[in-house]
Amino acid sequence: MTERKLLSDLVPQPDDDMVVCRCEEITKGEIRRAVHDGMFNIHEARRFLRCGMGLCQGQTCGRLVKAIIARELGISQSELDDATGRAPMRPTEMRIIASEVFGE
Amino acid sequence: MKRYDLIVAGAGPAGLSAAAEAAKCGMRVAVFDENAKPGGQLFKQIHKFFGSKAHKAKIRGFNIGSELLAEAERLGVEVFLNAPVLGLYDGREILVRIGDETRHYKGDSIIVATGASENMLAFPGWTLPGVMGAGAAQTMMNINRVRPGSRVLMLGSGNVGLVVGFQLLQAGCEVVAVADAAPRVGGYGVHAAKLARCGVPFYLSHTIVRAEGSDCVTGVTIGEVDSGWSVIPGTEKHFDADTICIAVGLSSATGLLKTAGCEMEDKGPFGRLPVCDEYGQTSITGIYACGDVSGIEEASSAMIEGRISGAAAANYLGFLPDAALKARAGELEQALEALREGMFAPKNRGKIPDKTDEGFDVSMSLLTRGYLDDAEVAGYPGVRSAAGTHPVIECTQNIPCNPCQDACPKGCITVGENIVALPQIDAGAECIGCGLCVASCSGQAIFLVNEDIGGGLASVTIPYEFLPAPKPGDTGVCLGRDGKPVCPGEVLEFKSPPAFDKTGLLTVAVPQAFCGRARFWKREA
Ligand SMILES: Cc1cc2nc3c(=O)[nH]c(=O)nc-3n(C[C@H](O)[C@H](O)[C@H](O)COP(=O)(O)OP(=O)(O)OC[C@H]3O[C@@H](n4cnc5c(N)ncnc54)[C@H](O)[C@@H]3O)c2cc1C
Ligand code: SF4
Ligand code: SF4
Repeated sequence: MTERKLLSDLVPQPDDDMVVCRCEEITKGEIRRAVHDGMFNIHEARRFLRCGMGLCQGQTCGRLVKAIIARELGISQSELDDATGRAPMRPTEMRIIASEVFGE
Repeated sequence: MKRYDLIVAGAGPAGLSAAAEAAKCGMRVAVFDENAKPGGQLFKQIHKFFGSKAHKAKIRGFNIGSELLAEAERLGVEVFLNAPVLGLYDGREILVRIGDETRHYKGDSIIVATGASENMLAFPGWTLPGVMGAGAAQTMMNINRVRPGSRVLMLGSGNVGLVVGFQLLQAGCEVVAVADAAPRVGGYGVHAAKLARCGVPFYLSHTIVRAEGSDCVTGVTIGEVDSGWSVIPGTEKHFDADTICIAVGLSSATGLLKTAGCEMEDKGPFGRLPVCDEYGQTSITGIYACGDVSGIEEASSAMIEGRISGAAAANYLGFLPDAALKARAGELEQALEALREGMFAPKNRGKIPDKTDEGFDVSMSLLTRGYLDDAEVAGYPGVRSAAGTHPVIECTQNIPCNPCQDACPKGCITVGENIVALPQIDAGAECIGCGLCVASCSGQAIFLVNEDIGGGLASVTIPYEFLPAPKPGDTGVCLGRDGKPVCPGEVLEFKSPPAFDKTGLLTVAVPQAFCGRARFWKREA
């Protein structure tokens, strides 16, 4: 878990309006802002912004979000956990999850 | 709940190999894959593989896949398709989606072989239609038979970028450039040279500045990067393009291992990977990981790792005695080690030697421009001048590969015991011009040259895998290693017998002075 610390002011960047999480349409600027608002890891950013919680479940943006958070915190990416692995691994409709078969 | 001795998640090369190996020991095995077709990445690989006979070298990837699938089926492995594994839980239970239901299965042992997913890169415009992973482009072309676009920029010069770049050319696309932020070509020189001689320019130390277009990609701008990876102002270059392929690496698909609670460790640039023992067993007894999910390598190594894990699972459940496991794993590990040698071995990542193992200079031109400089070619052991038809082998890096040696019925080519050694020509042996070496070279790096066929002409035989097939008498222009026109060339012969496995041998007549430089042929427009 990354140590809580005070970050310097958020300096706007020219590509802040670039979408990073396509499924939930979250921009780079929103992710950077969230870090300054105290979301210091992937889990918090996901819950706060829903980045990586859409259809692809972060398969595309997971590494990108991690890189942005790490850069904003001035730490190496390896200091950040990946998102927690949870079932279902692939997007699945609720009616299918509800049709659960235990027997043959 | 249905029970199996072994459940395998993922029917790629690793998963199918694991299943076959375990079934061979008498286990009841089920494999689940989310796709409609089995084979994972393997069924997209239309090129001939590197390695040695033990690694199925010179066989095209999809044919290796078919063999593997047939073996698994013959051994009674049940393969479930359109069956994504949604979770892996305590007690080695999996949850699978099949049709409109979710089903539970129990495995006395579990092998996770879920492979990897492609890394993406964010740059302005990256969400425009037309920006895609190189693997996605490969799936479109080779599985779904759809051309991804007509003018493509490839970002990434590793083997994936180079292999897919060449396949795009084969599919009839124009590849406007291969760009890479690194200062050196990341993949095999022989793969790069295939693209370069078709006229594809390489831009090393370059990255994408932006993709252009409003509804879809219409162009792309790249720029040179400084040592801090920032684009140097004024170095921007624009290309008209409708497709941008991203080949900047893969990430192991470790999701299922995480849901199971397997211990993970940070492996720096390789990401977080499962902690495994020598047989691929994770921190949870009876759960194994093999192939790309346990660390990105290649299909050849994934198949061997799969077999090792399959044998280990068999041993764990008492289907294979300890001594037999030891012997089998020992022989498999030896094959694996052979692949993990050479200039591009995982252990040598990031290091660039200036000499080959044999002491030849490593070509900087190949590493920065994608082709050998005409002046340096003669310095390598596969290149010699001789009377009559003789091979010219432009394979100059230590890579694990030796089909050229096995192919020659006359013993003209030697790689030796160590398969990463450079192929060399044996001056004493007599070449009969059969062309088997050219057709079996996975890197398309062997040419046949006859320096004097009379009338001031020479002949050059080129491996040629494009349609339509040229016919004798066709005229065109010969391109040099750098893809620039060097001389006119008239087709003398085009051969593609079954033994060549779809590599055509194109022989063109060129003025004698150009036989050392003409390395590709383009039909006259
Ligand atoms: C473009 C390209 C070119 C390559 N060229 C070569 C080459 O020339 N030589 C070489 O040796 N290697 C090559 N490779 C590498 C090689 O393809 C991979 O290393 C190899 O396929 C890894 O095998 P695998 O079985 O681990 O994974 P994969 O082949 O990726 O197979 C994994 C399978 O598991 C499935 N899966 C994943 N998650 C689930 C789930 N939850 N439920 C059900 N199924 C799931 C996937 O859909 C897939 O079918 C290339 C790779 C690429 C992308
Ligand atoms: S053309 Fe035939 S004989 Fe000549 S080197 Fe190649 S394989 Fe050997
Ligand atoms: S020349 Fe031999 S070692 Fe080199 S790529 Fe071709 S087959 Fe492999």
